[in-house]
Amino acid sequence: MAFSKTGLPDSRAADVADFRAALHAWLDANRAELAPRHGPPWTLDERVAQMQRVKSILFEAGWMQFGWPERVGGRGGSPMLRTELGAALAARDLADPGLFSLIEVLAPTLIDFARPELAAEVVPHLLSGTELWCQGFSEPDAGSDLASLRCRAIPDNARTASAWVIDGQKVWTSLAQYSDRCVLLTRTGPADSRHRGITAFFVDMDAPGITVRPLEMINGEREFAEVFFDGVVVPADRMLGELNGGWAVAMSILPYERSSCFWQKVAFLYQRLGRLVELAPGDDRAAEVVGNAYLQLHALRARSRATQHRLAETGTLGAETSIDKVLVATAEQATYDAVRRLLSGMIEMDDGAAAEVWRAEYLYSRAATIYGGTAEVQRNIIARRLLGLGSDD
Amino acid sequence: MIDADERALMEKSVHAAIADAREADEGADVDAVLAQLGWRELLRDEPGDAIDIVFRALGATNATATALDDVLVSALAREPRADLAVLLPRFAAWDPPGRIDGGEVRAQSLATARADAAEVLVVCGAPSEPWSVAIPTASAEIRPLRGIDPGAGFRSVRVQGSAARAVRVDPAAWRAAVALGRRAIAHQIAGACRAMLDLACAHAKERVQFGRPIARFQAVRHRLAEALVAVEALDAALTAARETPSPETAALAKALAGRTARTVATQCQQVLAGIGFTSEHPFQRFLKRTLALEGLFGSADDIALDVGRQLLAARRVPTLIEL
Repeated sequence: MAFSKTGLPDSRAADVADFRAALHAWLDANRAELAPRHGPPWTLDERVAQMQRVKSILFEAGWMQFGWPERVGGRGGSPMLRTELGAALAARDLADPGLFSLIEVLAPTLIDFARPELAAEVVPHLLSGTELWCQGFSEPDAGSDLASLRCRAIPDNARTASAWVIDGQKVWTSLAQYSDRCVLLTRTGPADSRHRGITAFFVDMDAPGITVRPLEMINGEREFAEVFFDGVVVPADRMLGELNGGWAVAMSILPYERSSCFWQKVAFLYQRLGRLVELAPGDDRAAEVVGNAYLQLHALRARSRATQHRLAETGTLGAETSIDKVLVATAEQATYDAVRRLLSGMIEMDDGAAAEVWRAEYLYSRAATIYGGTAEVQRNIIARRLLGLGSDD
Repeated sequence: MIDADERALMEKSVHAAIADAREADEGADVDAVLAQLGWRELLRDEPGDAIDIVFRALGATNATATALDDVLVSALAREPRADLAVLLPRFAAWDPPGRIDGGEVRAQSLATARADAAEVLVVCGAPSEPWSVAIPTASAEIRPLRGIDPGAGFRSVRVQGSAARAVRVDPAAWRAAVALGRRAIAHQIAGACRAMLDLACAHAKERVQFGRPIARFQAVRHRLAEALVAVEALDAALTAARETPSPETAALAKALAGRTARTVATQCQQVLAGIGFTSEHPFQRFLKRTLALEGLFGSADDIALDVGRQLLAARRVPTLIEL
């Protein structure tokens, strides 16, 4: 099917507001084609398929390429353009923002750290929905303390190192069982070298020696997995960044994760609160709950907006994004707490299709203060780096 | 609108001017300091920036002024003057406070200290068809209101006078006055919140127990981190209210200011412990000021309820601000 490229704004001239208007007009015009193929509740398989289908339609029409550099097949322009796209999809419930925004923590890594030819080859596959990738960071003994990771990479030949052999285990790897590739952090220095001895690789998930074991989450879905590496051979030209430079690769993701991903999440939470106010009773108890949830979302939205603009102006973000992280986690939980309080019994005692979705999301929201750096780790960072309280040991 | 660098510079100089005047004389006339800085001219030319800068400085220095009268007067399409005061909405409310009864204007509400010396008091009434009338202060009963924070300078005012000269006010003008008042007070609270947090952080680094500064204890660090999260979120909401001005963004900023003040005060007071419980430590002045200010133009609870009612009536959730 051919999608019209008419109505695409010029990425360089594109003022964000003009882009948003043109985008929404196009999404309106193609509403039927983009809509999920059937109603809720959606399985994870169906949500992943819907996301990839939407990406392929948007790629064909030229929208997916906005905000990405031309050397990886993008159309250039401010990264805010792609943030607007993700937010528009979330606001229209066309793609799960938690899954869609994984692009933001994967593609920039390839763009900044892969060989240019490799980035040019693979990034379009990710954007077009031809491939899915995952991020192999956390391990059973390396969660909040990522620098203690142990998954080993050893050169096949100490002298030439034309390939690396990987042994170890990752965990909480989102979408691993669907993924074609993995951005993987490995230990290449001595066991106690912490952040100085980590190297990143871009690994094909169909390589011999990789076993994926999906884990069932609290809401019954299998979104993340354990991934086992047993003598997996990765060509040396798949190294991302420098040898023992993997910490910089991991940290480079933070500005994207804490700006674009969060703005997409914010758009999604507004959509969900909007659905709640359609369904909630009209009394003052409901008004109080809804009003307070909205207050938190507004604070988060205002903060996230300021963060996007700071990134656009300075090109970098730092420890101050721990504030955003605490706010997004708190607001997500507050939104679903409001749902549970006002849609009485929907979460706990309702087997309808709509209730299945609310229940899965409610349970998932409990993890918001855990994944991506726990609320406690964020507060440690805020205390040391933003309040100047010094070290805590 | 002035640019960020200019604003930062002005914030610094306004803050310094007020702080210096009060250091020289704690009872210094802060209104005179503001007049000298060109407050009314700035309010006329750059109202958003003027309100933000001046009220934040008032909050941060715990100073008392009557600049709120100028803000409301200008929103009600009158020329701000040092001798023109406005009857504020009642505590925890934002409707205009007056009513007309048998040809008489009657009202009982709050005012700033300007009411003492002003010649006339602007009284507004009737939220649906608002009107305003200038009542000579000579016919008003004005008494200082101590409350929790006598230093905040509020007055309790009872007025009664002829309604013959009452004129219609554009309903949008009253809403604009409330919005600007909310932004002003929210900034003042934000300034006070930063001051409380600064005091608590300084104390945590100096105070030694169990052989180390209490700032090294994670329980203490996390309290202060929570306070900073709230303060930063409030600042973002205030920036949004300046860049996307509307009654809604102002209302939300004011509600967040109230919430933030409670969070910051609770966490900081716990960290300041015994010394923060004394009158000699400056913390208590900021704590009491934020409590006195929170009810002006509606508390966080009042506004959250009102906003929630609006959302449920419309059955939709506006995003208000865009990238």
